[in-house]
Amino acid sequence: MRRQLPILIVFVSGIFMIIQYFIPHESFEFIYEYAMDWIIIIGIFAMLLGLWSLTRASVSKVQTKAPGWGYSVMTLAGLVAMIFLGVYKGNQSIAEGTSFMDIFWNIYTPIQATMFALLAFYIASAAYRAFRARTVMSTILLVTALVIMLRLIPLGPLSGINQTLASWILTVPNMAAKRAIWIGIGLGATATCLKIIFGIERAYMGKD
Amino acid sequence: METIGIWIAALLTLGIFSFLYKDNPFYKFCESLFVGVSAGYWFVTTFWQVFMPKLADNLVAGRFYYIIGAIFGVMMLLRLIPKIGWISRWSLALVVGTTAGLYFTRYLVSNGMVQVQYTIISLYVKGNLSQTIGNLVIVIGTFSGLIYFFFSKEHKGAFGGLAKLGIWFLMLSFGASFGYTVMSRMSLLIGRMDFLLGTWLGLIR
Amino acid sequence: MRKKNLKIFLILTFFCFLILPLSQILAQVDTLPPATPTEVRAGDTPNDNGHSITVTWKLSADDGAGRKDVVAYEILRSESPAGEFVVRGMVPAGNNTYQDRGAKEKEDKNYFPPHHDFYYKVRAKTLKSYSESEVAGPATAYGQWFHIGKLPVFVGTLAFTIMVLTFIGLARKGKELYVRPLAGIDAVDDAIGRATEMGRPILYILGLGTAADIATIASLTILNRIAKKTAEHKTKIIVPCMDPIVMSVAQETVKAGYLDAGRPDMYQEENIFYITSMQFAYVAAVNGIMLREKTATNFYLGKFYAESLILAETGSVAGSIQISGTDEIAQIPFFVAATDFTLIGEELYAASAYLGREPLLLGALKAQDLAKAIVMISLALGAFAASFHLDFFLRLFSVQM
Repeated sequence: MRRQLPILIVFVSGIFMIIQYFIPHESFEFIYEYAMDWIIIIGIFAMLLGLWSLTRASVSKVQTKAPGWGYSVMTLAGLVAMIFLGVYKGNQSIAEGTSFMDIFWNIYTPIQATMFALLAFYIASAAYRAFRARTVMSTILLVTALVIMLRLIPLGPLSGINQTLASWILTVPNMAAKRAIWIGIGLGATATCLKIIFGIERAYMGKD
Repeated sequence: METIGIWIAALLTLGIFSFLYKDNPFYKFCESLFVGVSAGYWFVTTFWQVFMPKLADNLVAGRFYYIIGAIFGVMMLLRLIPKIGWISRWSLALVVGTTAGLYFTRYLVSNGMVQVQYTIISLYVKGNLSQTIGNLVIVIGTFSGLIYFFFSKEHKGAFGGLAKLGIWFLMLSFGASFGYTVMSRMSLLIGRMDFLLGTWLGLIR
Repeated sequence: MRKKNLKIFLILTFFCFLILPLSQILAQVDTLPPATPTEVRAGDTPNDNGHSITVTWKLSADDGAGRKDVVAYEILRSESPAGEFVVRGMVPAGNNTYQDRGAKEKEDKNYFPPHHDFYYKVRAKTLKSYSESEVAGPATAYGQWFHIGKLPVFVGTLAFTIMVLTFIGLARKGKELYVRPLAGIDAVDDAIGRATEMGRPILYILGLGTAADIATIASLTILNRIAKKTAEHKTKIIVPCMDPIVMSVAQETVKAGYLDAGRPDMYQEENIFYITSMQFAYVAAVNGIMLREKTATNFYLGKFYAESLILAETGSVAGSIQISGTDEIAQIPFFVAATDFTLIGEELYAASAYLGREPLLLGALKAQDLAKAIVMISLALGAFAASFHLDFFLRLFSVQM
């Protein structure tokens, strides 16, 4: 019963969602919209599980004075401060100009932008390691990347040729390869969905 | 106040950049603060922008079907009680089953059938040599790419040759994607440099 | 001089008297109503939820022809042929179709009731006048129980489902199913062995998707197999999660893996934990874990976005063996460049069958290959049909979303 009922729920909800795709009648539309909203609501409640996990891990480190416990204090401080500042004035707490948004703009946003900017360094180091023409495949990777990278750079008499070649690469062979990957993903994902619905793949349900 | 904000942002920026050298207490401080602040921000915005309109407002408006969603949500929380934690699997089952059913047709149509539809193109375009060559390349590239992803046959002989052609097409595509992204990543770095050298230190205008 | 001025004055006066009635005649022509639209038909909009009626008409003779002064059409609706007609919408000249639709909630002020008779008129408008058609109707909206335009998709769904179930049936009967080797899968055992020898943990990243992403679910099925192997090797596995539901499923999955390996006592729930749901905060924390825990092997399997390169490069700096796989086409190049082994697209979905080698899963993989073969044949036939303009065949592949 403990394992059968969830598998039945998966089957019924999965089959319903497939069938509703073909039925435009509003009775199915209503149930579809409710089902999507229920998923979102489950996610909202699950949010509390996430916060519990984060808090428990941080508090445990502080209590046991594990290495780096001071940083866990920072995590908890940031978490508690944001939650308090975000709710104490009701829904006005998150309006522009509040302390909540000041922390968002002056702490969260610059760190996020900087993390994103790290990609500039990492893309260079990845290119340095990967673009060594030792095999046919890495040579193709290198040459194509160079042609595309240089398409925006003025190269004198070669600019026109390079831009035409870059444009052709992006619209023809690149598109062909992407289509092959998309079709493969489509078939793979569809088969995975069927395996889940029919209970063939049930590892995610766990065991007792 | 704005000056304090700029200084805090600048110091945190430098803290994150210090990770490029190596892991250090400055980066760890920034990381831990970032995690705490982001989790709090996500919780608060989800509460006001999702929970309230999706659940609270709907229940107040008398749409009692949403109670079913709330019941499944509470079942999810029962994970915290070990003896009855297995009840949370019912909520997980609803999420996973609904997702699987929804995406079955989505992937079959948008990734499968529509892609096939767009790849069915004429191999000969009268009076247009470049488009004829382009169409041939697209069809051959897609065909050989699919051969590469065939799992039931080893890549040997003529079949292996076609699969090799397929992986060359894939590598070409990956190189193109890589090259295409470089400029945008550089612009992100330029943005942060502009902030540090311009807004914070006032060295550039 | 005086005679000359008098002549000019008389000529100007004559023209004024000529222009004045001419302008009045022209003004009258401007206010003449245009030819009425004809053959107005109103009927239920097909393949919808029952809250829409489609109105069609034949263009006015003065639309693009005749006086060419029609600028737009207004569509009016009433609940009785002699009742008050209200404007429901407008379309520019040249259009002969309008879909009158409304909300399905009764409390919405734009509610469109199904199973209710409506009457329609179409008004052709110029800049200064208009003319109205005959009344068409009654028209009633009702919902359909099957979308005819999605018939090809229905056939595809049935065909694929039958294929999968057939091959699974064959697999159950013990039929030998061969699959070619995949480098990324063959490397898994070595990667886990390496972590065991070095006494360092394994890091498993499920990606940034939620439990509502198929790639994440595929990754969870792979996690189950890898957790079983790590339990057999007595190696620690760390699974930091970005979504609380994914964390819950991951905990169940890893626990099941440990149970399958006969090592339930080794399972530690605190190794599968939640960090935050914000992209770069999660990545910052995972980077820290990689360097501080000194993970020997990193798995990146699931849905990834721009942060994929940050994770892969940090793992590379930490000296970890890295196996990646995603269905995000934009991120595959970075994984190919920065990790040791990459499962490209469909290979991610095939991985659980490869790792488990269970006949049922291999059967589903065979069905995928058969579907791929059908696609390849369709491409070949379709290209032939397109080259020879065989439209009937091309219409078979026309898909409505």
